[in-house]
Amino acid sequence: MLLEMKGAAVDYGRVSAVRDISINVEEGSVVTIIGGNGAGKTTTLRAMSGLARLSRGEITFDGKRIDNLPADKVVGLGMAHVPEGRRIFPDLTVEENLRTGAFLRRDKVAVAADLDKIYAKFPRLKERRSQWAKTMSGGEQQMLAIGRALMSDPRILLMDEPSMGLAPVIVEEIAVIIEELSAQGMTVVLVEQNAELALELADYAYVLETGNLALEGPAKELHDNEHVRAAYLGI
Amino acid sequence: MLDLLLQTGLNALYSASYISLVAVGLVLIFGVMGIVNFAHGELFMAGAYVVVALYSGFKLPYLLVAAIGLIFVGCLGLLMERTMFRPLRTNPLGGLVASIGFLMILQALASMTFGVRMAFVPPVTQEVIEFSERVRLPVQRLYVILAAFGFLTLLWLFLTKTRFGWALRASAQDPEAAALQGISINQTAKIAMFIGAALAGIAGVLTAPLISVNPHMGHSVIIAAFIVAIVGGVGSLEGAVVASVAYAFVHTFVTTFFDGVIADITGLSLMLIVLIIKPTGLFGTADRA
Ligand SMILES: Nc1ncnc2c1ncn2[C@@H]1O[C@H](COP(=O)(O)OP(=O)(O)O)[C@@H](O)[C@H]1O
Ligand SMILES: [Mg+2]
Repeated sequence: MLLEMKGAAVDYGRVSAVRDISINVEEGSVVTIIGGNGAGKTTTLRAMSGLARLSRGEITFDGKRIDNLPADKVVGLGMAHVPEGRRIFPDLTVEENLRTGAFLRRDKVAVAADLDKIYAKFPRLKERRSQWAKTMSGGEQQMLAIGRALMSDPRILLMDEPSMGLAPVIVEEIAVIIEELSAQGMTVVLVEQNAELALELADYAYVLETGNLALEGPAKELHDNEHVRAAYLGI
Repeated sequence: MLDLLLQTGLNALYSASYISLVAVGLVLIFGVMGIVNFAHGELFMAGAYVVVALYSGFKLPYLLVAAIGLIFVGCLGLLMERTMFRPLRTNPLGGLVASIGFLMILQALASMTFGVRMAFVPPVTQEVIEFSERVRLPVQRLYVILAAFGFLTLLWLFLTKTRFGWALRASAQDPEAAALQGISINQTAKIAMFIGAALAGIAGVLTAPLISVNPHMGHSVIIAAFIVAIVGGVGSLEGAVVASVAYAFVHTFVTTFFDGVIADITGLSLMLIVLIIKPTGLFGTADRA
Protein backbone atom coordinates (compact mmCIF):
# COMPACT_ATOMS: atom_id res chain seq x y z
CA MET A 1 0.00 0.00 0.00
CA LEU A 2 1.34 3.42 -0.88
CA LEU A 3 -0.92 5.27 1.56
CA GLU A 4 -2.72 3.78 4.53
CA MET A 5 -4.98 5.54 6.96
CA LYS A 6 -5.98 3.39 9.94
CA GLY A 7 -8.69 4.16 12.48
CA ALA A 8 -8.21 7.87 11.99
CA ALA A 9 -10.21 10.54 13.80
CA VAL A 10 -9.99 14.33 13.59
CA ASP A 11 -11.62 16.77 16.01
CA TYR A 12 -12.14 20.49 15.70
CA GLY A 13 -12.01 21.52 19.33
CA ARG A 14 -14.63 19.37 21.01
CA VAL A 15 -16.46 18.60 17.79
CA SER A 16 -15.58 15.37 16.08
CA ALA A 17 -15.30 15.86 12.31
CA VAL A 18 -14.40 12.32 11.23
CA ARG A 19 -13.86 9.09 13.19
CA ASP A 20 -12.63 5.57 12.62
CA ILE A 21 -11.61 6.17 9.04
CA SER A 22 -9.49 3.50 7.37
CA ILE A 23 -8.50 4.08 3.78
CA ASN A 24 -5.99 2.18 1.68
CA VAL A 25 -4.52 3.53 -1.51
CA GLU A 26 -2.64 1.15 -3.73
CA GLU A 27 0.18 2.53 -5.85
CA GLY A 28 -1.04 3.49 -9.32
CA SER A 29 -4.73 3.41 -8.43
CA VAL A 30 -7.36 6.13 -8.37
CA VAL A 31 -9.27 6.11 -5.11
CA THR A 32 -12.24 8.35 -4.54
CA ILE A 33 -13.92 9.57 -1.40
CA ILE A 34 -17.47 10.71 -2.04
CA GLY A 35 -20.05 12.12 0.29
CA GLY A 36 -22.33 15.06 0.84
CA ASN A 37 -21.47 18.51 2.06
CA GLY A 38 -19.93 18.39 5.55
CA ALA A 39 -19.38 14.63 5.48
CA GLY A 40 -15.69 15.01 6.32
CA LYS A 41 -14.03 14.55 2.93
CA THR A 42 -11.88 17.67 3.15
CA THR A 43 -10.91 16.90 6.73
CA THR A 44 -9.78 13.40 5.72
CA LEU A 45 -7.64 14.77 2.90
CA ARG A 46 -6.19 17.47 5.16
CA ALA A 47 -5.19 14.82 7.67
CA MET A 48 -3.39 12.90 4.94
CA SER A 49 -1.31 15.89 3.84
CA GLY A 50 -0.54 17.07 7.35
CA LEU A 51 -2.80 20.11 7.49
CA ALA A 52 -5.02 18.51 10.15
CA ARG A 53 -3.83 16.49 13.15
CA LEU A 54 -5.29 13.13 14.07
CA SER A 55 -6.71 12.64 17.52
CA ARG A 56 -6.64 8.85 16.99
CA GLY A 57 -5.29 6.43 14.46
CA GLU A 58 -2.32 6.60 12.15
CA ILE A 59 -1.27 7.30 8.58
CA THR A 60 1.61 5.65 6.80
CA PHE A 61 3.00 6.68 3.45
CA ASP A 62 5.26 4.17 1.73
CA GLY A 63 5.58 2.38 5.06
CA LYS A 64 6.57 5.50 7.00
CA ARG A 65 4.44 7.12 9.71
CA ILE A 66 3.53 10.63 8.58
CA ASP A 67 0.67 11.63 10.87
CA ASN A 68 2.97 13.69 13.09
CA LEU A 69 4.69 15.55 10.27
CA PRO A 70 3.72 19.13 9.38
CA ALA A 71 2.38 19.68 5.86
CA ASP A 72 5.58 21.34 4.66
CA LYS A 73 7.46 18.08 5.39
CA VAL A 74 4.88 15.69 3.95
CA VAL A 75 5.08 17.23 0.47
CA GLY A 76 8.80 16.48 0.44
CA LEU A 77 8.01 12.77 0.75
CA GLY A 78 6.05 12.87 -2.50
CA MET A 79 2.48 13.75 -1.58
CA ALA A 80 0.91 16.73 -3.33
CA HIS A 81 -2.43 18.19 -2.27
CA VAL A 82 -4.65 20.25 -4.57
CA PRO A 83 -6.76 21.93 -1.91
CA GLU A 84 -10.47 22.65 -1.94
CA GLY A 85 -11.13 25.99 -3.61
CA ARG A 86 -7.82 25.76 -5.56
CA ARG A 87 -5.94 28.18 -3.26
CA ILE A 88 -3.57 29.41 -5.93
CA PHE A 89 -1.43 32.40 -4.93
CA PRO A 90 -3.43 35.31 -6.40
CA ASP A 91 -0.62 37.87 -6.47
CA LEU A 92 2.02 35.61 -7.93
CA THR A 93 2.22 35.15 -11.66
CA VAL A 94 1.17 31.87 -13.21
CA GLU A 95 4.77 30.82 -13.62
CA GLU A 96 5.71 31.89 -10.09
CA ASN A 97 2.83 29.76 -8.82
CA LEU A 98 4.14 26.78 -10.73
CA ARG A 99 7.72 27.31 -9.62
CA THR A 100 6.57 27.64 -6.04
CA GLY A 101 5.19 24.11 -6.38
CA ALA A 102 8.79 23.00 -6.94
CA PHE A 103 10.02 24.89 -3.88
CA LEU A 104 11.73 21.89 -2.29
CA ARG A 105 13.37 20.62 -5.48
CA ARG A 106 16.97 21.62 -6.06
CA ASP A 107 17.56 19.98 -9.45
CA LYS A 108 17.03 22.98 -11.75
CA VAL A 109 17.25 20.97 -14.95
CA ALA A 110 14.55 18.52 -13.87
CA VAL A 111 12.34 21.38 -12.65
CA ALA A 112 12.69 23.17 -15.98
CA ALA A 113 11.80 19.96 -17.81
CA ASP A 114 8.71 19.46 -15.63
CA LEU A 115 7.67 23.06 -16.22
CA ASP A 116 7.81 22.41 -19.96
CA LYS A 117 5.76 19.25 -19.52
CA ILE A 118 3.11 21.12 -17.59
CA TYR A 119 3.01 23.87 -20.21
CA ALA A 120 2.56 21.15 -22.83
CA LYS A 121 -0.29 19.62 -20.84
CA PHE A 122 -1.91 23.01 -20.13
CA PRO A 123 -1.19 25.31 -23.08
CA ARG A 124 -3.36 28.05 -21.57
CA LEU A 125 -1.03 28.26 -18.59
CA LYS A 126 1.84 28.82 -20.96
CA GLU A 127 0.01 31.61 -22.78
CA ARG A 128 -0.64 33.30 -19.45
CA ARG A 129 2.62 32.49 -17.73
CA SER A 130 3.39 36.09 -16.76
CA GLN A 131 -0.13 37.13 -15.77
CA TRP A 132 -1.25 37.45 -12.16
CA ALA A 133 -2.89 34.20 -11.18
CA LYS A 134 -5.93 36.07 -9.86
CA THR A 135 -6.79 37.29 -13.37
CA MET A 136 -7.51 33.77 -14.59
CA SER A 137 -10.87 32.03 -14.88
CA GLY A 138 -11.97 29.38 -12.41
CA GLY A 139 -11.11 26.55 -14.77
CA GLU A 140 -7.69 27.97 -15.50
CA GLN A 141 -7.08 28.42 -11.79
CA GLN A 142 -7.93 24.76 -11.24
CA MET A 143 -5.47 23.78 -13.98
CA LEU A 144 -2.90 25.99 -12.27
CA ALA A 145 -3.55 24.36 -8.91
CA ILE A 146 -3.08 20.93 -10.48
CA GLY A 147 0.03 22.09 -12.33
CA ARG A 148 1.48 23.56 -9.15
CA ALA A 149 0.94 20.25 -7.35
CA LEU A 150 2.56 18.30 -10.19
CA MET A 151 5.62 20.57 -10.03
CA SER A 152 6.59 18.90 -6.76
CA ASP A 153 7.04 15.68 -8.78
CA PRO A 154 4.68 13.75 -6.48
CA ARG A 155 4.07 10.03 -6.16
CA ILE A 156 0.51 10.65 -5.06
CA LEU A 157 -1.90 13.45 -5.86
CA LEU A 158 -4.68 14.39 -3.45
CA MET A 159 -7.44 16.38 -5.14
CA ASP A 160 -10.26 18.06 -3.25
CA GLU A 161 -13.31 18.69 -5.43
CA PRO A 162 -11.47 19.74 -8.59
CA SER A 163 -14.83 20.06 -10.40
CA MET A 164 -16.32 22.48 -7.90
CA GLY A 165 -17.98 25.51 -9.47
CA LEU A 166 -16.81 24.74 -12.99
CA ALA A 167 -18.77 24.56 -16.24
CA PRO A 168 -19.45 21.03 -17.58
CA VAL A 169 -16.99 21.47 -20.45
CA ILE A 170 -14.21 22.32 -18.02
CA VAL A 171 -15.18 19.47 -15.71
CA GLU A 172 -14.80 17.16 -18.69
CA GLU A 173 -11.32 18.58 -19.34
CA ILE A 174 -10.34 17.97 -15.74
CA ALA A 175 -11.63 14.41 -15.97
CA VAL A 176 -9.45 13.84 -19.02
CA ILE A 177 -6.44 15.20 -17.15
CA ILE A 178 -7.03 12.83 -14.24
CA GLU A 179 -7.37 9.92 -16.65
CA GLU A 180 -4.14 10.86 -18.37
CA LEU A 181 -2.27 11.20 -15.09
CA SER A 182 -3.57 7.84 -13.99
CA ALA A 183 -2.59 6.26 -17.30
CA GLN A 184 0.93 7.58 -16.72
CA GLY A 185 1.00 5.75 -13.40
CA MET A 186 0.10 8.54 -10.97
CA THR A 187 -1.67 7.49 -7.79
CA VAL A 188 -4.68 9.73 -7.13
CA VAL A 189 -7.00 10.30 -4.19
CA LEU A 190 -10.01 12.17 -5.51
CA VAL A 191 -12.54 13.79 -3.22
CA GLU A 192 -15.79 14.71 -4.94
CA GLN A 193 -19.39 15.67 -4.37
CA ASN A 194 -19.86 14.91 -8.05
CA ALA A 195 -20.20 11.16 -7.44
CA GLU A 196 -21.02 10.33 -11.04
CA LEU A 197 -17.71 11.76 -12.20
CA ALA A 198 -15.72 10.32 -9.31
CA LEU A 199 -17.06 6.78 -9.69
CA GLU A 200 -16.36 6.90 -13.40
CA LEU A 201 -12.72 7.86 -12.82
CA ALA A 202 -11.90 5.75 -9.77
CA ASP A 203 -10.87 2.16 -9.27
CA TYR A 204 -11.99 2.04 -5.66
CA ALA A 205 -14.36 4.24 -3.69
CA TYR A 206 -15.21 5.15 -0.12
CA VAL A 207 -18.47 6.77 0.92
CA LEU A 208 -18.35 9.15 3.88
CA GLU A 209 -21.48 10.06 5.79
CA THR A 210 -21.39 12.53 8.71
CA GLY A 211 -17.82 11.68 9.59
CA ASN A 212 -18.10 7.90 9.28
CA LEU A 213 -17.21 5.53 6.50
CA ALA A 214 -20.57 4.20 5.34
CA LEU A 215 -19.52 2.05 2.40
CA GLU A 216 -16.52 1.05 0.39
CA GLY A 217 -15.80 -1.08 -2.61
CA PRO A 218 -14.68 -1.13 -6.22
CA ALA A 219 -16.04 1.96 -7.95
CA LYS A 220 -18.04 -0.08 -10.44
CA GLU A 221 -19.81 -1.98 -7.66
CA LEU A 222 -20.64 1.20 -5.77
CA HIS A 223 -21.97 2.68 -8.95
CA ASP A 224 -24.57 -0.11 -9.02
CA ASN A 225 -25.24 0.02 -5.30
CA GLU A 226 -28.87 0.91 -4.48
CA HIS A 227 -28.01 3.28 -1.64
CA VAL A 228 -25.33 5.07 -3.63
CA ARG A 229 -27.63 5.40 -6.62
CA ALA A 230 -30.42 6.84 -4.51
CA ALA A 231 -28.32 9.11 -2.30
CA TYR A 232 -25.52 10.32 -4.58
CA LEU A 233 -26.36 9.61 -8.19
CA GLY A 234 -29.96 10.76 -8.08
CA ILE A 235 -31.18 7.74 -10.02
CA MET B 1 10.28 80.60 -5.37
CA LEU B 2 11.39 77.91 -7.80
CA ASP B 3 14.49 77.47 -5.67
CA LEU B 4 12.38 76.96 -2.59
CA LEU B 5 10.22 74.40 -4.35
CA LEU B 6 13.26 72.49 -5.60
CA GLN B 7 14.90 72.58 -2.21
CA THR B 8 11.74 71.37 -0.49
CA GLY B 9 11.43 68.65 -3.11
CA LEU B 10 14.93 67.41 -2.28
CA ASN B 11 14.12 67.45 1.43
CA ALA B 12 10.97 65.47 0.74
CA LEU B 13 12.87 62.93 -1.32
CA TYR B 14 15.22 62.42 1.60
CA SER B 15 12.33 61.89 4.06
CA ALA B 16 10.59 59.58 1.64
CA SER B 17 13.74 57.47 1.44
CA TYR B 18 14.10 56.58 5.08
CA ILE B 19 10.36 56.44 5.76
CA SER B 20 9.92 53.95 2.93
CA LEU B 21 12.72 51.75 4.28
CA VAL B 22 10.96 51.62 7.64
CA ALA B 23 7.45 51.25 6.19
CA VAL B 24 8.35 48.50 3.74
CA GLY B 25 9.80 46.42 6.57
CA LEU B 26 6.68 47.00 8.65
CA VAL B 27 4.47 45.91 5.75
CA LEU B 28 6.62 42.87 4.97
CA ILE B 29 6.41 41.66 8.57
CA PHE B 30 2.68 42.24 8.69
CA GLY B 31 2.19 40.51 5.36
CA VAL B 32 4.04 37.33 6.29
CA MET B 33 3.28 37.08 10.00
CA GLY B 34 0.04 39.01 10.39
CA ILE B 35 1.61 40.94 13.25
CA VAL B 36 1.80 44.71 13.63
CA ASN B 37 5.30 45.27 14.92
CA PHE B 38 5.02 48.25 17.24
CA ALA B 39 8.72 47.94 18.05
CA HIS B 40 9.63 48.78 14.47
CA GLY B 41 10.50 52.40 15.32
CA GLU B 42 12.81 51.13 18.04
CA LEU B 43 14.62 48.92 15.52
CA PHE B 44 15.24 52.16 13.60
CA MET B 45 16.51 53.68 16.86
CA ALA B 46 18.74 50.64 17.49
CA GLY B 47 20.37 51.18 14.09
CA ALA B 48 21.11 54.79 15.02
CA TYR B 49 22.66 53.74 18.34
CA VAL B 50 24.92 51.26 16.58
CA VAL B 51 26.34 54.35 14.88
CA VAL B 52 26.61 56.15 18.23
CA ALA B 53 28.48 53.21 19.77
CA LEU B 54 30.75 52.15 16.94
CA TYR B 55 31.19 55.28 14.83
CA SER B 56 31.05 58.06 17.40
CA GLY B 57 32.50 55.83 20.13
CA PHE B 58 34.97 53.38 18.65
CA LYS B 59 35.63 55.43 15.51
CA LEU B 60 35.17 52.47 13.20
CA PRO B 61 34.78 53.30 9.48
CA TYR B 62 31.20 54.32 8.66
CA LEU B 63 30.69 51.68 5.96
CA LEU B 64 31.72 48.92 8.34
CA VAL B 65 29.41 50.37 10.99
CA ALA B 66 26.59 50.39 8.45
CA ALA B 67 27.15 46.71 7.67
CA ILE B 68 27.29 45.83 11.36
CA GLY B 69 24.15 47.90 12.04
CA LEU B 70 22.25 46.14 9.27
CA ILE B 71 23.16 42.69 10.55
CA PHE B 72 22.79 43.54 14.23
CA VAL B 73 19.28 44.95 13.84
CA GLY B 74 18.36 42.10 11.48
CA CYS B 75 19.37 39.72 14.25
CA LEU B 76 17.23 41.65 16.72
CA GLY B 77 14.39 40.85 14.32
CA LEU B 78 15.31 37.16 14.41
CA LEU B 79 15.35 37.32 18.21
CA MET B 80 11.86 38.83 18.24
CA GLU B 81 10.61 36.14 15.86
CA ARG B 82 12.01 33.28 17.90
CA THR B 83 11.14 34.52 21.39
CA MET B 84 7.85 36.33 20.82
CA PHE B 85 6.16 35.97 17.48
CA ARG B 86 6.69 32.24 16.98
CA PRO B 87 5.20 31.20 20.34
CA LEU B 88 2.38 33.69 19.66
CA ARG B 89 1.84 32.60 16.04
CA THR B 90 -1.86 31.92 16.51
CA ASN B 91 -2.38 35.03 18.61
CA PRO B 92 -1.84 38.26 16.63
CA LEU B 93 -3.05 40.43 19.51
CA GLY B 94 -0.52 38.73 21.79
CA GLY B 95 2.17 39.41 19.19
CA LEU B 96 1.21 43.06 19.10
CA VAL B 97 1.34 43.36 22.91
CA ALA B 98 4.68 41.54 23.01
CA SER B 99 6.07 43.92 20.40
CA ILE B 100 5.05 46.87 22.62
CA GLY B 101 6.92 45.19 25.47
CA PHE B 102 9.97 44.79 23.25
CA LEU B 103 9.71 48.47 22.30
CA MET B 104 9.92 49.43 25.97
CA ILE B 105 12.84 47.09 26.60
CA LEU B 106 14.81 48.56 23.71
CA GLN B 107 14.06 52.12 24.86
CA ALA B 108 15.11 51.28 28.42
CA LEU B 109 18.30 49.60 27.21
CA ALA B 110 19.16 52.62 25.07
CA SER B 111 18.48 55.03 27.94
CA MET B 112 20.55 53.01 30.41
CA THR B 113 23.46 52.53 28.05
CA PHE B 114 23.60 55.89 26.32
CA GLY B 115 21.53 58.24 28.49
CA VAL B 116 18.23 59.85 27.61
CA ARG B 117 19.70 62.92 26.00
CA MET B 118 20.50 63.42 22.38
CA ALA B 119 23.62 61.49 21.42
CA PHE B 120 26.33 63.12 19.36
CA VAL B 121 27.13 61.69 15.95
CA PRO B 122 29.94 63.40 14.04
CA PRO B 123 29.15 64.09 10.38
CA VAL B 124 30.28 61.38 7.99
CA THR B 125 30.81 63.96 5.30
CA GLN B 126 30.44 67.72 5.29
CA GLU B 127 30.20 67.93 1.56
CA VAL B 128 27.24 69.64 -0.02
CA ILE B 129 26.18 69.53 -3.62
CA GLU B 130 25.13 73.02 -4.64
CA PHE B 131 22.70 73.04 -7.54
CA SER B 132 22.30 76.76 -7.09
CA GLU B 133 22.79 79.22 -4.28
CA ARG B 134 19.64 78.15 -2.55
CA VAL B 135 19.23 74.56 -3.75
CA ARG B 136 21.65 72.41 -1.82
CA LEU B 137 21.85 68.70 -1.11
CA PRO B 138 24.15 67.56 1.71
CA VAL B 139 25.98 64.46 0.52
CA GLN B 140 24.93 62.50 3.62
CA ARG B 141 21.32 63.00 2.52
CA LEU B 142 22.26 61.83 -0.94
CA TYR B 143 23.64 58.65 0.68
CA VAL B 144 20.27 58.06 2.33
CA ILE B 145 18.43 58.51 -0.97
CA LEU B 146 20.80 56.27 -2.91
CA ALA B 147 20.89 53.60 -0.22
CA ALA B 148 17.10 53.50 0.03
CA PHE B 149 16.87 53.19 -3.72
CA GLY B 150 19.50 50.44 -3.70
CA PHE B 151 18.03 48.42 -0.84
CA LEU B 152 14.48 48.65 -2.16
CA THR B 153 15.70 47.50 -5.58
CA LEU B 154 17.50 44.58 -3.97
CA LEU B 155 14.39 43.68 -2.02
CA TRP B 156 12.31 43.80 -5.18
CA LEU B 157 14.79 41.55 -6.99
CA PHE B 158 14.78 39.14 -4.07
CA LEU B 159 10.98 38.99 -3.95
CA THR B 160 10.42 38.57 -7.68
CA LYS B 161 13.44 36.63 -8.92
CA THR B 162 14.38 34.10 -6.23
CA ARG B 163 12.62 31.01 -4.93
CA PHE B 164 12.76 32.29 -1.37
CA GLY B 165 11.23 35.54 -2.58
CA TRP B 166 8.33 33.67 -4.18
CA ALA B 167 8.03 31.61 -1.02
CA LEU B 168 7.80 34.74 1.10
CA ARG B 169 5.06 36.23 -1.07
CA ALA B 170 3.22 32.90 -1.30
CA SER B 171 3.27 32.51 2.43
CA ALA B 172 2.01 36.08 2.89
CA GLN B 173 -0.89 35.39 0.52
CA ASP B 174 -1.91 31.96 1.82
CA PRO B 175 0.26 30.37 4.54
CA GLU B 176 -1.57 27.05 4.41
CA ALA B 177 -1.35 26.68 0.64
CA ALA B 178 2.32 27.66 0.97
CA ALA B 179 2.85 24.89 3.53
CA LEU B 180 1.45 22.45 0.97
CA GLN B 181 4.31 23.47 -1.34
CA GLY B 182 6.87 22.71 1.37
CA ILE B 183 7.25 26.30 2.52
CA SER B 184 7.45 26.42 6.29
CA ILE B 185 6.01 29.49 7.95
CA ASN B 186 8.83 29.40 10.52
CA GLN B 187 11.30 29.78 7.70
CA THR B 188 9.50 32.61 5.92
CA ALA B 189 8.80 34.37 9.23
CA LYS B 190 12.53 34.35 10.00
CA ILE B 191 13.37 35.78 6.59
CA ALA B 192 10.68 38.46 6.84
CA MET B 193 11.75 39.49 10.33
CA PHE B 194 15.41 39.65 9.40
CA ILE B 195 14.80 41.71 6.29
CA GLY B 196 12.15 43.94 7.86
CA ALA B 197 14.25 44.68 10.92
CA ALA B 198 17.45 45.13 8.90
CA LEU B 199 15.74 47.70 6.66
CA ALA B 200 14.62 49.69 9.72
CA GLY B 201 18.12 49.34 11.16
CA ILE B 202 19.84 50.60 8.04
CA ALA B 203 17.45 53.55 7.92
CA GLY B 204 18.55 54.38 11.48
CA VAL B 205 22.22 53.97 10.56
CA LEU B 206 21.85 56.26 7.54
CA THR B 207 19.95 59.03 9.27
CA ALA B 208 21.88 58.98 12.56
CA PRO B 209 24.30 61.72 11.45
CA LEU B 210 21.39 63.90 10.28
CA ILE B 211 18.76 63.76 13.00
CA SER B 212 18.52 63.87 16.74
CA VAL B 213 19.49 60.43 18.10
CA ASN B 214 17.70 59.71 21.36
CA PRO B 215 15.86 56.74 22.90
CA HIS B 216 12.48 58.08 21.74
CA MET B 217 13.39 58.84 18.15
CA GLY B 218 11.37 55.84 16.94
CA HIS B 219 8.05 57.58 17.61
CA SER B 220 7.81 60.03 14.77
CA VAL B 221 9.10 57.60 12.18
CA ILE B 222 6.76 54.80 13.25
CA ILE B 223 3.77 57.12 13.01
CA ALA B 224 4.79 58.09 9.51
CA ALA B 225 5.36 54.42 8.67
CA PHE B 226 1.94 53.40 9.99
CA ILE B 227 0.21 56.12 7.99
CA VAL B 228 2.11 55.11 4.90
CA ALA B 229 1.43 51.40 5.39
CA ILE B 230 -2.29 52.04 5.80
CA VAL B 231 -2.56 54.50 2.92
CA GLY B 232 -0.54 52.24 0.64
CA GLY B 233 -2.84 49.33 1.41
CA VAL B 234 -1.76 47.07 4.25
CA GLY B 235 0.14 44.17 2.79
CA SER B 236 1.22 45.96 -0.38
CA LEU B 237 4.94 46.70 -0.57
CA GLU B 238 4.59 48.81 -3.74
CA GLY B 239 1.81 50.70 -2.01
CA ALA B 240 4.09 51.40 0.95
CA VAL B 241 6.78 52.86 -1.29
CA VAL B 242 4.38 55.01 -3.32
CA ALA B 243 2.62 56.20 -0.18
CA SER B 244 5.97 56.99 1.48
CA VAL B 245 6.87 59.28 -1.36
CA ALA B 246 3.43 60.90 -1.37
CA TYR B 247 3.39 61.31 2.39
CA ALA B 248 6.91 62.71 2.57
CA PHE B 249 6.18 65.26 -0.14
CA VAL B 250 2.95 66.43 1.45
CA HIS B 251 4.45 66.50 4.92
CA THR B 252 7.64 68.29 3.91
CA PHE B 253 5.88 70.88 1.79
CA VAL B 254 3.28 71.65 4.44
CA THR B 255 6.00 71.87 7.09
CA THR B 256 7.98 74.28 4.94
CA PHE B 257 5.10 76.54 3.95
CA PHE B 258 3.02 76.29 7.17
CA ASP B 259 4.40 74.35 10.11
CA GLY B 260 5.04 70.86 11.46
CA VAL B 261 1.83 70.47 13.45
CA ILE B 262 -0.30 71.38 10.44
CA ALA B 263 1.76 68.91 8.43
CA ASP B 264 0.99 66.10 10.91
CA ILE B 265 -2.70 66.98 10.79
CA THR B 266 -2.63 67.08 7.00
CA GLY B 267 -0.95 63.68 6.85
CA LEU B 268 -3.55 62.08 9.11
CA SER B 269 -6.41 63.80 7.27
CA LEU B 270 -5.18 62.52 3.95
CA MET B 271 -5.01 59.03 5.42
CA LEU B 272 -8.64 59.33 6.53
CA ILE B 273 -9.69 60.61 3.11
CA VAL B 274 -7.95 57.73 1.35
CA LEU B 275 -9.58 55.26 3.73
CA ILE B 276 -13.02 56.75 3.16
CA ILE B 277 -12.63 56.62 -0.62
CA LYS B 278 -10.84 53.27 -0.73
CA PRO B 279 -10.96 51.41 2.61
CA THR B 280 -8.30 48.92 1.53
CA GLY B 281 -5.73 51.64 0.82
CA LEU B 282 -4.35 52.67 -2.54
CA PHE B 283 -2.86 49.31 -3.52
CA GLY B 284 -4.64 47.05 -1.06
CA THR B 285 -6.88 44.11 -1.79
CA ALA B 286 -9.80 43.28 0.43
CA ASP B 287 -8.70 39.97 1.89
CA ARG B 288 -5.86 41.23 4.09
CA ALA B 289 -7.43 44.44 5.31
N1 LIG C 1 -12.13 24.61 10.71
C1 LIG C 1 -13.21 23.96 11.19
N2 LIG C 1 -13.64 24.21 12.46
C2 LIG C 1 -14.71 23.56 12.96
N3 LIG C 1 -15.40 22.63 12.30
C3 LIG C 1 -15.03 22.33 11.05
C4 LIG C 1 -13.91 23.00 10.42
N4 LIG C 1 -13.77 22.50 9.17
C5 LIG C 1 -14.77 21.60 9.03
N5 LIG C 1 -15.51 21.49 10.13
C6 LIG C 1 -16.64 20.57 10.33
O1 LIG C 1 -16.18 19.27 10.12
C7 LIG C 1 -17.14 18.52 9.39
C8 LIG C 1 -16.52 18.00 8.12
O2 LIG C 1 -16.21 19.07 7.24
P1 LIG C 1 -15.44 18.88 5.88
O3 LIG C 1 -14.31 17.96 6.10
O4 LIG C 1 -15.13 20.22 5.35
O5 LIG C 1 -16.54 18.17 4.99
P2 LIG C 1 -16.66 18.04 3.40
O6 LIG C 1 -15.36 18.35 2.79
O7 LIG C 1 -17.06 16.62 3.20
O8 LIG C 1 -17.73 18.98 2.97
C9 LIG C 1 -18.31 19.46 9.13
O9 LIG C 1 -19.28 19.19 10.12
C10 LIG C 1 -17.73 20.82 9.31
O10 LIG C 1 -18.69 21.70 9.79
MG1 LIG D 1 -14.92 19.76 1.38
